[in-house]
Amino acid sequence: MNIVEVKNLKMRFGDKTVISDLNFDVKKGEIFGLLGANGCGKTTTIRVLLGFYEPTAGELLIDGKKYNPENSKILVGYLPEERGLYRKENVIDTMIYFGELKGLENPREWSMKYLERVGLLDKFNEKIEKLSGGQQQKIQLGITIMGNPKLLILDEPTKGFDPMNRRLLMEIIEELHKKGTAIIMITHYMDEVEKLCDRALLLKDGVARAYGKITDIKKEFGGKSLDQIFVEVYGGENE
Amino acid sequence: MNKHILRVAKFEIVRQLKKPAFWAATLLLPALIGGIYFISFISTQEVDENPILDENTTVAITDDAGILSDGAPFVINGDKEYGKEMVKNGEVDLYYYIPEDFLENKKVEFYHVSEGLEIFNNDGNIIKGLLLQDVMKRVDGQDALVLTGGYEIVDNKMTKDGGEANALGKAIIPFFIGLVFFMFIALCGNRFLMTVVEEKENRISELILTSVSSKHLIVGKIIAMLVLGLVQILVLVIPILIIVLINRDNQFINMVLSMIEIDLVAIVLSLLLFIVSAVFYAGTCTFVGSLVATARDASSFIGPAIIMMVFPLYFMQMFMMEPNLIVQIMTYFPFSAPVALMLREGFGTITTAEYLVGILVVAISAIIMIKLAVKSFQKNAINFSMVKPKFLRKR
Repeated sequence: MNIVEVKNLKMRFGDKTVISDLNFDVKKGEIFGLLGANGCGKTTTIRVLLGFYEPTAGELLIDGKKYNPENSKILVGYLPEERGLYRKENVIDTMIYFGELKGLENPREWSMKYLERVGLLDKFNEKIEKLSGGQQQKIQLGITIMGNPKLLILDEPTKGFDPMNRRLLMEIIEELHKKGTAIIMITHYMDEVEKLCDRALLLKDGVARAYGKITDIKKEFGGKSLDQIFVEVYGGENE
Repeated sequence: MNKHILRVAKFEIVRQLKKPAFWAATLLLPALIGGIYFISFISTQEVDENPILDENTTVAITDDAGILSDGAPFVINGDKEYGKEMVKNGEVDLYYYIPEDFLENKKVEFYHVSEGLEIFNNDGNIIKGLLLQDVMKRVDGQDALVLTGGYEIVDNKMTKDGGEANALGKAIIPFFIGLVFFMFIALCGNRFLMTVVEEKENRISELILTSVSSKHLIVGKIIAMLVLGLVQILVLVIPILIIVLINRDNQFINMVLSMIEIDLVAIVLSLLLFIVSAVFYAGTCTFVGSLVATARDASSFIGPAIIMMVFPLYFMQMFMMEPNLIVQIMTYFPFSAPVALMLREGFGTITTAEYLVGILVVAISAIIMIKLAVKSFQKNAINFSMVKPKFLRKR
């Protein structure tokens, strides 16, 4: 069963075509890698999927329907690339607010347990602007995974993370994966993809250049590693 | 009401109420009003104790004309030169010389040490008060009343059909509601802008729009801002009403209160106009906020909107007379309509039907503005730079 279906997606901004005729799906419970260089259309695809942009053409479905945060039967967590928080608010109020919006029954209890797990329990009443960058990332991650979403979308999740936070994130991804959460990971780190992802899509100029199981993609490119495949697909541009 | 709207509204209200800056802005104006009231109260008390002179001022008078009563205060036996010498030596602050030919020339000479420009120095007139005070002792109560003008003129205006006309009394409540609307604009404008811009400035838009639709987010924010505006207005108005109630025996306040004519229909319509105007203003600010990336960008856009809203005030005189074309345009142009309608209602130059049409125009404009704000926020929430019109974009 597919949790995400993207059919014939075309996306144009003015005269510029960002994505042309993109098709892929993400299966329930799998970890899916969305790969490609900067500006190839990965984030735009996610933004269209979540309804932030209207597609020029195509159909994008989450759990069989066009996504609307308030009518969706499944909880979706999204950690965007451009991410921030209400800097002047305190940690617990911010987490409770997002928890309430996500429909959690007891957002305070969930938040306190999460803060304890990530070592920030003593900061629950601190203003967010008083936290370090790494601590803020933990709060953003907590907000994203609130209520154990059925679909988790992580756009460059380890960008700017220190090794400790990166390890924590990997643990959480694996934990949610075991609980049956489907995860879409947008990343430039091919080692993360090889380690975590079941399948992947490699985009270039809004067109799919490779798509399928990691092992099948490697086979298709003569047994090369994902790093080598990436260089081969994008290589021409750098020469 | 949708639960997401309520959650957004609750969050926004609570977080603003917790901010010291909110209460500082809210309490500043009542504190100023209270301060002015306190100063005027104290100064009134001082004037009551000595209506002409303050206790530190020393005065001497030489009355060669003999118009002051025997034993009148401040009169000295010395001549003009002696009086001038007293000023020079610092024995008195003010010296007045009433010459023998005072009744012919009608002049009193005043001597005091100059303290610079003294544009606002009114000490010369003290002698008038002292002379009047002295004369009043010699006339009977009836003459004193006539001389001092201490009586009230009861103005009984009539309408053309012989009824009782009370235009000013009818205007008081609409003008008061208009004043409250101005306070609302002054107090809330910046917050309306910031509440939308903040999502972009802090890069929260994507995180939050995964959980709530832009429509419910914007509507929730607008409701919160209106509630907060109401809190600020109540904090302002309640002390004013308390001061009025405490001082209802004051001659001026009593006169104003007795003039007020309670016209329930006019009050309901004025309140309705206030509400739709506030929503329209909130929608406009939110729309502007959704177009720009930072609060600084927003302030340059909201200025013209506020100018358009207060534009009718520049043509105040026109609103007092039979409405001409300019007044009619301002009455039904959404940006100027709130103030134009309040003015015309106050001056009594609008019919109920025209007023209702004006309210309808503002209400429809408010709905359109909110819809535009929602659409614009949906489109621009993840544009972290200002939206530029096509002709300004680089090719």
